Amino acid sequence: MMIIREVLALIAFLIGTAFGLVGMVGLFRFKDPYSRLHAGSLCGTTAVFSYLLALLLLSPSIASTLRMIILIVFFLISAPTGSSIVARFIWESQDAEAHRSSMNREDKSL
Amino acid sequence: MSEWILQAMLYTLTFFAVITLVRLLIGPTASDRLVALNILSAVSLALLILWGVSTKRTLYLDVALVYDIFGFLGFLAITRFLKKSKEGS
Repeated sequence: MMIIREVLALIAFLIGTAFGLVGMVGLFRFKDPYSRLHAGSLCGTTAVFSYLLALLLLSPSIASTLRMIILIVFFLISAPTGSSIVARFIWESQDAEAHRSSMNREDKSL
Repeated sequence: MSEWILQAMLYTLTFFAVITLVRLLIGPTASDRLVALNILSAVSLALLILWGVSTKRTLYLDVALVYDIFGFLGFLAITRFLKKSKEGS
């Protein structure tokens, strides 16, 4: 039973590492804050979520398992909301104007 | 094998945190720094949970939950403050 959990945790760890490395590359290769936000929220959500799944499989007791399930649910709510707050800040601060001059500023639907 | 996975996870999370800190330091605008800070809060949450699992103490998981809630509220405060200081100048 323990070996199955360890193998599944290893698979989740490898998936999280792959997503995290790709996100870190994107954080340095992209040119404007919107693209960096895209790469960053990809790696910040998917890599950390995979790591939390691996840690959930490796958790030692029932108390830590229940706490970790609450943490995962709260993380899945809070991480996209934080990215949305950052995206709204970028839109209102007009930091991406130098890279995307043709962006339609009249669209206030965000 | 379980200790090996936890050790490898500690190394990769530290690597992600260092890379994100570099982006946070050299980011040209405030938006880039805020994007890096968003990732850094998630990575440090994962580090706290990893420490709680590898030392088999549930105290760190409670700390991680409170850290997640207050990091989320801190984002609202930081964006509100930066917006207000930019409008004031």
